[in-house]
Amino acid sequence: MDSGSSNKGTGAESRDDRLFAPCRARCPVHVDVPGYLTAIAESRFMDALEIVLERNPLPSVCGRVCLRPCEDGCRRCLLDEPVAIAALKRAAADIALYPPALRARQRPERVAIVGGGPTGLTAAYDLAKLGLSVSIYESKPRLGGMLRYGIPNYRLPDYALDRDIDHVLAHGVEVHTGVRIGHDVTIDELAADHDAVLVAVGLQDSRALPIPGANKPRVLKALSFLESCANGERMDLGERVVVIGGGNVAMDVARTARRQDVDLVQVVCLESRDEMPAAGHEVHEAEMEGVTINCSWGPREILGDDGVEALRAVRCSAVFDEQRRFNPVFDEGVVQEFSADTVIFAIGQGADVEGMGLPTTPRRSIQVDPVDLRTTVEGVYAAGDIINGPTKIIDAIASGHRAAAAIFRDITGDSEIFDLLDPENAVLGKVPDTMAAELETGRRIQMERLEPWEAIRTFDELERGYTEFEAAREAQRCLSCTTGARLAREKCASCLTCTRVCPHGAACVNMGGYLYFEMEACHACGACASQCPAQAISIEGASEEDFSRRVQRRLVDAGLDTALVFSCGPVPDVIPEAGVDFRTVQVPCLLRVSERSVLEAFDEGASRIVFTKCIDGDCRFTHAQELVRNRIEHIRAMLSEIGMSDSFKVTASPQTRDEKEVDSR
Amino acid sequence: MIVVRQKPIAEICDMIGRHSRVLLVGCNTCAAVSLAGGETEVDTLLQFLKLANKRRATYTEFGPAVLQRQCEPEYIEGLEHEGYDAILSLGCGAGVALLSEMIGKPVYPALDTLFIGAAKGLAHWSAECSACGKCVLGETAGICPVTRCAKGILNGPCGGVSDGTCELGDRPCAWVEIYERLEALGRVEQFKQISSPPDNSTRIICEWDMTKPGDES
Repeated sequence: MDSGSSNKGTGAESRDDRLFAPCRARCPVHVDVPGYLTAIAESRFMDALEIVLERNPLPSVCGRVCLRPCEDGCRRCLLDEPVAIAALKRAAADIALYPPALRARQRPERVAIVGGGPTGLTAAYDLAKLGLSVSIYESKPRLGGMLRYGIPNYRLPDYALDRDIDHVLAHGVEVHTGVRIGHDVTIDELAADHDAVLVAVGLQDSRALPIPGANKPRVLKALSFLESCANGERMDLGERVVVIGGGNVAMDVARTARRQDVDLVQVVCLESRDEMPAAGHEVHEAEMEGVTINCSWGPREILGDDGVEALRAVRCSAVFDEQRRFNPVFDEGVVQEFSADTVIFAIGQGADVEGMGLPTTPRRSIQVDPVDLRTTVEGVYAAGDIINGPTKIIDAIASGHRAAAAIFRDITGDSEIFDLLDPENAVLGKVPDTMAAELETGRRIQMERLEPWEAIRTFDELERGYTEFEAAREAQRCLSCTTGARLAREKCASCLTCTRVCPHGAACVNMGGYLYFEMEACHACGACASQCPAQAISIEGASEEDFSRRVQRRLVDAGLDTALVFSCGPVPDVIPEAGVDFRTVQVPCLLRVSERSVLEAFDEGASRIVFTKCIDGDCRFTHAQELVRNRIEHIRAMLSEIGMSDSFKVTASPQTRDEKEVDSR
Repeated sequence: MIVVRQKPIAEICDMIGRHSRVLLVGCNTCAAVSLAGGETEVDTLLQFLKLANKRRATYTEFGPAVLQRQCEPEYIEGLEHEGYDAILSLGCGAGVALLSEMIGKPVYPALDTLFIGAAKGLAHWSAECSACGKCVLGETAGICPVTRCAKGILNGPCGGVSDGTCELGDRPCAWVEIYERLEALGRVEQFKQISSPPDNSTRIICEWDMTKPGDES
């Protein structure tokens, strides 16, 4: 793994004033998605992880279970299929080592955070990094909240959650588990003892319907069921389970029941198939695992003399009224009985807000100012699902950031972080048609995963995650939106070379004769920057200086025969040769390796340089091929002048076993 | 624009071999546009010379600089060349000349100045003007016979033309092109005009001071 340059100090700060790629704009915490995908495409996994961690303290979690609004924004959506952004985040978290915890100078202020779920962990991470003393109070025996006790292990195994939690705690966060608010300690007591208290307890109560039979012993609620399973308990559910609900939790419950040796698992929900709130892939996967989905049924009664025998339901002809309000209409004449030994309600969550002792709203959430999340009690804040209702994990993380920024502002007077919470960056538009016609298209790389028949036998993780090679290849599908050409106008010699090499017309000249770039049409191939005689064009985070540093780092302690391999795309196995120390620098295109970089590498101690070209037919930047050929000729000519022709080789990337497997999956 | 190209590397090495500290100076106007004298080419050449030095166990040090235009004294005044004992100019002949005049140190050309030319695409230029001092393009439909004709004759073509190709064999006959373009413009009559012999006095102008008209030498 190549740990090269990060974007720090090379415009990363000023970049935030510029355009956001749609993936970044749609992410509630605005993770620099193109930034970390670019790093992964160059196999710089540690850099990628650091970029994610700047905005998201839970990359291992979100890489697995985020509902990924970013992917809906991906500009590849209209071309083929969005880049597997979440899976690549997971790859960064799985493959790279988490960076060492860096904290600001210790400050005297102390903050208590109630709840160790995604919101609480995020706020703890932010505040601890800023130097505050942070204590998390968690009622359960372990941290993680719904991530640990609500999401089944086959989607988010404990070890994956613990990687993130360990990293958060490494910043010096104190943890008190098994502490229940209202029983062991009160909010008032915490407030008296700390400069601020954040309530981020989430929604801990499952809702149920007040239908006849709902109080039978084998009628369960989703969260307690999932928690028992998360604790490793095996329950006697009988042979037939009916799950009531059409959301993601219902799917989790149904699939978990399948893993508890239940043969017949039926989901019964009010909504029609199209209206189901569960994510499409979740429903599909549940069906693949043998779960039956019964749509448009309204539960009426749980039948059975002693125990549970069946769920009686009537046809639901409409869930929403004309104003899209929840207002179900039933056809009592159409009745169906779903036989069951156990019925599990998965129709939503609520919270025990009264137990907090804080003023509440009529909608049973804690009353807060939506901007700075202050409750009506001085020094007490609330964030996450307890104020927003059920939301995505990434929304909970965003809420945690907001709370941390507001707390930091209020107790230190420094509002800089708070003021940056809602960036107003413009968003990059869609891929121009002319450019779309030129782009290579293809599906995303599929992860290796358990077959459904294997999956339901265990709680083992379904998806195996990308290998380094697969991750780098998938990341190369990213169009590198907004990370492309940057112009230093004062250096431009107006030679127009960039306009001649850009295949998409991104480099343009205005009526006054000045050059500018159409960012929509730039996908950061680097052709313009590579040919610019005045070094007026650079590629975001990949300037000539950045690249030099990267090469230097790869050549630290170079021996007598150290070959530096510049490879276009990931090279799964470097061609072995006895006695030669091969070191690889992966680039998106060999065009990124200038004559100067090659000569510099010799100067830094490389005894040989190898250019490994991309796999035939796999070239993303076909227009660059001739430019690369010319460059290779130029390098050869220079080296032959000083008797070094033998020190420079050009090879084609060998198609390897990994490669074939990926293509056939 | 003045089109330049880099000299063979061996020639450059020979010129600067005896100096111990050499400053490479690029030119961000014509030479940069010719993809031969911008910052990129300065950096590349510098890196190459360093490596060549190492291979040959010689001990010359190099430094980089780029001027906006080497043919302007005001730009040269800002050049920091202290500590260097020679300059390697990546500019056209005019740049080398003015640097030499102003710096008082040996200045060597890293480029050959080829012609005044026009861009024909990526890294491709054609010679269009020889700065003869007496422009005839109005009579030749914009094709310069002084530049594009190997003999530079003002009444062509000569007898060496075959199938529209110059007897040198590497270029089209300028006079055939002139005829074809005049014809396309409906100006064939023009072709029948005999041009006066070239006024070579204009070729030897060596200074032009606009503030002193009539004082040309």
